[in-house]
Amino acid sequence: MDFGLTETQELIRASAREFLEDRSKSDIVRAVAEGDNEAISSLWKDIVALGWPSLTISEDHGGAGMSFSDLAVLLEELGASLAPTPLVESSISSWIIERFAPDSLKSDMLPQIANGDILITPAIVEQDASWDPESTKVAATRSGSSLVITGEKRFVAFAEQATHALTLVRIDNEEPVLVAIPIWKADGFEQTPVAHASGVPVSSLTFNELEVPVGNIVATGNEAIEAVEELTAAGGVARAAQLAGLGRTVVDATVEYTANREQFGRPVGTFQAVQHHLAEMAIAAKQVNHLAYSAAWTFSQEGYSVIAAAQAKIAASDKIAELCWTAHQCHGAIGFTWEHDLHLYTRRALAWKTDYGDSAFHKSKLASAMGL
Amino acid sequence: MRFDFTPEEKDFKRQLSSFLDDVLPTDWHGPADESRDDHWTLNQDIKKGLAERGWLVMSWPKEYGGADSSPMMNTIFAEEMAYRRAPGHDRFGTRMFGPTLMRFGTEEQRKRHLGSIARGEIQWCQGYSEPNSGSDLASLQTRAIEDGNDFLVTGAKIWTSLAHRADMMFMLVRTDPEAAPHKGISLILVDMKSPGVEVLPIVNMAGVHSFNQVVFDNVRVPKSNLVGDLNDGWRAGMTVLNFERSGIDYAAWARAALEEMVDYVNSDEAAVTSAKTDSTVRIKLAELHMEVEAARLMCYDVSYRQGKGEIPSSEASMSKVAASEVYLKVLDYGVEILGMYGVLEPGSDQAELQGRFFKMRLFYTSGPILAGTNEIQKNIIAQRGLGLPRK
Ligand SMILES: Cc1cc2nc3c(=O)[nH]c(=O)nc-3n(C[C@H](O)[C@H](O)[C@H](O)COP(=O)(O)OP(=O)(O)OC[C@H]3O[C@@H](n4cnc5c(N)ncnc54)[C@H](O)[C@@H]3O)c2cc1C
Repeated sequence: MDFGLTETQELIRASAREFLEDRSKSDIVRAVAEGDNEAISSLWKDIVALGWPSLTISEDHGGAGMSFSDLAVLLEELGASLAPTPLVESSISSWIIERFAPDSLKSDMLPQIANGDILITPAIVEQDASWDPESTKVAATRSGSSLVITGEKRFVAFAEQATHALTLVRIDNEEPVLVAIPIWKADGFEQTPVAHASGVPVSSLTFNELEVPVGNIVATGNEAIEAVEELTAAGGVARAAQLAGLGRTVVDATVEYTANREQFGRPVGTFQAVQHHLAEMAIAAKQVNHLAYSAAWTFSQEGYSVIAAAQAKIAASDKIAELCWTAHQCHGAIGFTWEHDLHLYTRRALAWKTDYGDSAFHKSKLASAMGL
Repeated sequence: MRFDFTPEEKDFKRQLSSFLDDVLPTDWHGPADESRDDHWTLNQDIKKGLAERGWLVMSWPKEYGGADSSPMMNTIFAEEMAYRRAPGHDRFGTRMFGPTLMRFGTEEQRKRHLGSIARGEIQWCQGYSEPNSGSDLASLQTRAIEDGNDFLVTGAKIWTSLAHRADMMFMLVRTDPEAAPHKGISLILVDMKSPGVEVLPIVNMAGVHSFNQVVFDNVRVPKSNLVGDLNDGWRAGMTVLNFERSGIDYAAWARAALEEMVDYVNSDEAAVTSAKTDSTVRIKLAELHMEVEAARLMCYDVSYRQGKGEIPSSEASMSKVAASEVYLKVLDYGVEILGMYGVLEPGSDQAELQGRFFKMRLFYTSGPILAGTNEIQKNIIAQRGLGLPRK
């Protein structure tokens, strides 16, 4: 056992903190939540320049060849600062492409994801909001060297910015296919934004006989199902790492507030009722942190652990949202205002709780993996 | 023992319910957003209608516009209003200030104010909290200085619900800065239109303007607006809090939300279809059903005891803690059942149940904070209720 960070990871953390402190301030987070897409583009441009989208892409394909654990260290900082940026979407998609796509597609797309020419986001969920790949209905038919795609995907993050959507469809109502669909200014495609708690752009995508070259197919049949299962697990762990960071920030901010807010002639943080709230919050944040890192580490090994991934996402979903509510309680009325930043964290935690499989979804996965 | 309402109580509940059928818009889901003019108009109309029927203040004596009924009748009223998420129930006037004035006001003050509350004419607000005085209310600093027949009031109140709609405020002010904190406070009544009163809106985390900061700059208040004795406002002020502290609204809101969730799960139109077949959903909803009933009985117990002339302080705190917490549990689960739809903000076409659950969850985060935080309530329960030593 080694809970320590490697030298590289320490570097990642330090440079991420330094960058995000300035580039993910709450006024930027708020501007994005209010629809400022310029702010997203300019942040993403800087992030591409730092090479973050290339972090886990192999060196053969123009990436930095780092591990999922390294990525998790970075994502913890992104979560801690609520950075309104599609790094999880991009990293998880490139991870799946690297693991499942044919060589030709890999050498075409991965270098472009690494250098920022391509921004790709997963589009898995449909009207029933389920992350179970078996429930996919969006239809594809083969026509020469193209797939023709019709149907609706929902809850797609950063579709407004993305050039591609990593989409699960079914050919002739049967065979599942995971395909990287070019959506940027595409014909037969529409995206409709929804008002989402995350405070980042989320849309539903409608495909109307959209043509995609078969060369963009990432995986077919059982492979496609496996790819989406891994995508959900990896996305869940990525969110867990972000939520661990988010929780840490909220704990720190609440400690700071209650240590300074005085009532009855002493800081409210001296009351044991408040101290116990904070102790519970700190336990939760630490647990989520351990589970997220432990699960991220398994992605760096031969095959990932379904069990560890599920545990990380269950804990992160349930415990961090709860932690945020407790933080509101410790803040009193001030934390109930729009002006105070706390609700930005709460909203994000609630949103992240639901994507890449909510707690109920992962509990069911975990139960099966336990042999039930 | 009798765990049922009397025929008279049942009859009243039926009448109130059918009145609400008539006055609430057919597609009404609530809760009302009192900063919206259309909702405020509805609030005023319903309040008038309730007043005409003599329902606003039933437990008050007849001479002040009441019907001499039991506190249980008020609880039934509050419960039904909350259950329907109906606007028009002025808690500040009817539930807090009125009863306080009956105990501490002069005959002249009672005549002047109680009637207008009973008739639903005047909106009151409560000016207690200040930026530096929340849980520790006795540390409040807003000053009232005697000046001839008036007080001159200077300072700032904060978190004042409905100040932007209110005609009058009952407020605690410091009249003797030299005395011990509890002994230098007075309760006075301020006309919100007085020169020098400024109401600054505060938007809450659900995006609603429900409370305010109220700044007082040498506001002239006639001494006849002092309630109780000078420097004896703490006692009267705390009485208000005893009246304020009931969980019945939360218990009723929780019941309404739970029923809405059951309907949703059973509905054929629900986008989230998995809830219908998921046995854990059944179990969780059943657990919440029990919790809601448990909280509701705590609230009835408080009115039962009040009806026998007791002042059930610890029981009232218990009901507030239990009900405000169970309501949040219900809303949390509502948001959770809706899955990815649960985190859509109202206004999204795709939002299920119009995004209501998400917004209510944010809005009622305030439940365990306002009217004395639940930590403070638990201190009361432990110390006053259970008799545990304070030190
Ligand atoms: C929606 C809303 C509406 C409101 N409306 C009104 C209104 O109309 N009029 C009005 O006057 N006020 C109103 N309030 C204010 C409300 O009464 C205060 O928020 C409340 O008393 C708590 O004070 P505070 O917010 O300053 O928190 P603080 O007192 O600063 O408390 C911060 C934290 O410390 C804890 N704490 C404090 N003291 C102790 C202790 N002794 N033991 C254990 N824990 C402790 C609290 O429980 C809380 O968790 C409203 C508040 C809200 C949220």
